[in-house]
Amino acid sequence: MFPIWMRFKIRPEGKRGVSLWFPVILIWIILWALMLVLLPFMLLAAVLTWRRGPGLILLAVYPMLFSVLWNLSGLHVETRDAENDVLISFR
Amino acid sequence: MNEEHRKILEMLKEGKISVADAEKLLAAVGGPGTEAPAAPGGKPGWKYLRVLVEPGPGSESQDKVNIRVPMKLIRAGLKFAALIPQAAQGKVNVALKEKGLNVDLMKISPQDLEDLVANLNDMTVEVDGKDKVRIFCE
Repeated sequence: MFPIWMRFKIRPEGKRGVSLWFPVILIWIILWALMLVLLPFMLLAAVLTWRRGPGLILLAVYPMLFSVLWNLSGLHVETRDAENDVLISFR
Repeated sequence: MNEEHRKILEMLKEGKISVADAEKLLAAVGGPGTEAPAAPGGKPGWKYLRVLVEPGPGSESQDKVNIRVPMKLIRAGLKFAALIPQAAQGKVNVALKEKGLNVDLMKISPQDLEDLVANLNDMTVEVDGKDKVRIFCE
């Protein structure tokens, strides 16, 4: 499913740092609205460029982007060095 | 059941080894319980690819990296990579070659990934005796 929350944490060495739970679902809503608006133009561009090749690719953008975002949940990146602790996690 | 498993079980049946010994031997040869639960397709049901970088004994820095990537995301990303225009594909490959990776990304298919993951149990790489990089699936 789509990740609903993104956890972002940055903590400089010796300091308290910032931990943020961001409702990333808001970004998906805005993104889908934008993509919906662009859909007719994408379809038109796909039809116009169908013979030269990119048309099929343009049509594939939507399902592939959907697939990537859908499977983003569970991604966890955490790094720690001498200066900072950084964590980005999608849930 | 392969030949090694059969021999161990026969030794157990004949009383040559104890149950505890049989368990150890089965674990050593990759017996039941040492692998991931199989998915319906018969392949291991790995959900995540994990990459852990930890400082080794000879490392001065205390840098740590802990990455968990869903396998489905990798598969989706591979499909997405197919959308890279032909002109850009060449540039990507040249850039990878400059970094020492002589790999054509566009030729990596989802099946290649499945094969790689199926054979990737738990790999630990030590970089110049400093950092330990552990790559495994869970």
